[in-house]
Amino acid sequence: MKYEKISNIAYNLHLIKTDKFKTISVKIMFKRKASESELVYRNMLINILMEANHKYQSSRLLEIESENLYNIRYGAGSSNSGNYDCLHFDTSFLNEKYTEAGMNAKSLEFFFNFIFDPNITNQAFNEETFTLAKNLLTDDIKSFDDSPARYSRKKLFQSMVPKTPVSYNGYGTLEELDKVTPTNLYEYYQDILKRDLIDIFVIGDIDNNQIKSIIKEKFKINTIKKTNGSHFLENKKFKSRFHKIKETKELEQSTLLLGYKLEPLTKFEKMYVSYIYSYILGGSPDSKLFKEVREKNSLCYSISDSIYAVSDLMVISSGINADDANKAIRLVKEQVKKMSRGEFSEEEITQAKVTYLASLKGLEDYPGSILNLYISKEYLDYDLLEDRIKSINKITKEDVVNLAKKIHPDTIFILEGSKKA
Amino acid sequence: MKKSSVNNLDVTIFYEKLANGLEVFLVPKNNVNNIFATYSTKYGSNQNDFVPINQNKMITVPLGIAHFLEHQLFNQEDESDVMKFFSERGTDVNANTNKLKTTYLFGGPDFFEENLEFLLSYVESPYFTEASVEKEKGIIEQEIKMYRDRPFSRLHEGIVYNAFHNHPIKYPIIGNVESIRKITKEDLYTCYNTFYHPANMFLVVTGNIDPDKTLELVKQHEEKRNLNKFKNIKLKTYEEPDSVSKKEEEIELNITIPKVAIAFKINKTNIKKVAKTEIATYLQMIFSLNFGSTSEFAERLKAEEIITSGIDCYPVETDKHVLMVVYTESKQPNEFIKLVKRQVTNLNIAKEDLERRKKSMIASGIYASDSISSINHKIMNEVVKYGKVFTDYVDIIKSYNMDDIKEVLKAIDVNNNTVYIVNPLNRIEK
Repeated sequence: MKYEKISNIAYNLHLIKTDKFKTISVKIMFKRKASESELVYRNMLINILMEANHKYQSSRLLEIESENLYNIRYGAGSSNSGNYDCLHFDTSFLNEKYTEAGMNAKSLEFFFNFIFDPNITNQAFNEETFTLAKNLLTDDIKSFDDSPARYSRKKLFQSMVPKTPVSYNGYGTLEELDKVTPTNLYEYYQDILKRDLIDIFVIGDIDNNQIKSIIKEKFKINTIKKTNGSHFLENKKFKSRFHKIKETKELEQSTLLLGYKLEPLTKFEKMYVSYIYSYILGGSPDSKLFKEVREKNSLCYSISDSIYAVSDLMVISSGINADDANKAIRLVKEQVKKMSRGEFSEEEITQAKVTYLASLKGLEDYPGSILNLYISKEYLDYDLLEDRIKSINKITKEDVVNLAKKIHPDTIFILEGSKKA
Repeated sequence: MKKSSVNNLDVTIFYEKLANGLEVFLVPKNNVNNIFATYSTKYGSNQNDFVPINQNKMITVPLGIAHFLEHQLFNQEDESDVMKFFSERGTDVNANTNKLKTTYLFGGPDFFEENLEFLLSYVESPYFTEASVEKEKGIIEQEIKMYRDRPFSRLHEGIVYNAFHNHPIKYPIIGNVESIRKITKEDLYTCYNTFYHPANMFLVVTGNIDPDKTLELVKQHEEKRNLNKFKNIKLKTYEEPDSVSKKEEEIELNITIPKVAIAFKINKTNIKKVAKTEIATYLQMIFSLNFGSTSEFAERLKAEEIITSGIDCYPVETDKHVLMVVYTESKQPNEFIKLVKRQVTNLNIAKEDLERRKKSMIASGIYASDSISSINHKIMNEVVKYGKVFTDYVDIIKSYNMDDIKEVLKAIDVNNNTVYIVNPLNRIEK
């Protein structure tokens, strides 16, 4: 595997050459400081760019062409990464060695056209495409709360860290969507090309020069971009006990979330110690939460914890019967306390390390996982494989207990299911 | 070991049937780090009425028992903890049950031999107690409730339930809260002893392995087992009419936009000129070309705001029937149903569409050959459905033709359908 990074004034290009895969995968990331009012524009852009372009003026024609191109896969989405909002455009296609000569260039052209050749008339997005994209986003906004897990998480974060990017309403709001027009969306599109920080990641058995020249031809804009501010969000105020919120919906299962705030973690803690902590507490079917709440007390089917290292938050989530909520909360609190009292064994730490190392080894089998490594290097300055292997082995029990002591209870959210089975 | 190559791909399948009847499929892939191993029994939620081993009367067991048994097999007599064993080795462990099989699996790059030995051992040593069975009921009850709040789970369960009269494919794999409460440890032993004989099971290992060493390990392990000779399992046969059992049903859930499905039940034994194994694939092609993302139908319905994004379809297969399910999210579910029915009276496929789809299907096979889990799943599915693995997939796809499509089209009866709608709360007028 050979890595080359080309930094340009308008974008960074990351080329990872390996003959391990039959595919070539590309991911283009656009990022800028998150702003709640722009969410709706960014989501509209994804919808409209993926719906049609100048050459293929409907999603039907795009899909037909994707089959002609040996089932090229493509997609896009947006996500939050601490202070930043990221748009990503992805593709994966068969290397021409397995299809026919000339297909690599054709496939890349097809993919780049989503971004660089949109369906534009008179300095505005095509009306029809705009309507389709808007309908889709309207429905997504309206049905955002349908998923009990997604809804509960939104409410939890809105209460814990209001007005921070983590708490923003996923797709934006209908009121804001109403203000978007084909013209101002096109202006926004030009703005992201000019002002968003752009990273292009390519992995596969590629010809670096071919990729470089294709991208050079596509990027006509050469604005100098301000480089990186930090992605990381920090908490300043902490509670000493949980604030509890309960809502009721007509559902069969109840959702229980316990939200914790973390004192600012070091880079080492974010990358490594939080993994070990999380693994022991609720990251595997052999974890404390799984054994205690599910196996011993039979209260749930799923229970797990996640540490959001970029925003220093931790959430423990489970699906339970409404009547069992207090018992489950008590059991979870006990397990979390055990972590800060150091009531876990060296054996459990070793087990977490072995699992971490196995997953590093395993991720080399997947192009997407390798790309993610380089993305976290670029965005968060996280370590690459070799350093990760060295560092994980350095973690001691003391490190884990120190991290545990930085974790403070904040908010419990219960979405109570009122339906009787 | 028998060795066969999948055409056009760098995939070689090593096969051997052991003396005790266990079938072993090994696919070495030495440019990956991971190994993916699956140990399966040809026993799923469809096998609910049978004559237990060493008995002579047909019995019916509670719905959802195959899945319940899957959960309980993680319980071990010597208190060796299955989860702990694999976690200590950085290995992912899991299990799943579908209509036709139950599978126990692990995946990871290290400790392969210990892991494999342990997978075989724990699946081969059942230990159920009253306490362990009772404990599992609470866990599975939550699993059931999780699915019951999901609109698409309810849509898929509902449409299949209403399409069939007698065939047990109609029931959800997981059973229901009442049925699982009835399960006893004796029931579990009855099912285990009947269906977990090596001659009813198979092992598939794909990834960074040496096939000879792997086979040797499995052989040595299996030879140590002392088992009675396998007798064929007597399963109930079902008289399944061609009609659907219920024409329509609507339910309400806490959602914003309705979900709707219509399914057409097709008797595949009426399609004589087409290979039985290919009928479901042909139907899938016909329906997805007419309703999927490349169809003018979907484009029009999206523009008219009848559907929100796309229309999907999939086949559900029994020995006698294929149920073709077409489903979507729609603010006008009744309009959607009307239009699908109209389109089904008019199904057609252009030759160029068929050729393009074939090219895309062959390409999908190449993508899948990079993934040890895709290879493993393909083998499992074919063994369970057809009792063999197809290595000539490219030739099969190339052989798809317009004449066969015409034959399959003849068997579709637009009126033989069932409709299922999941509405938002308070939408149905009472």
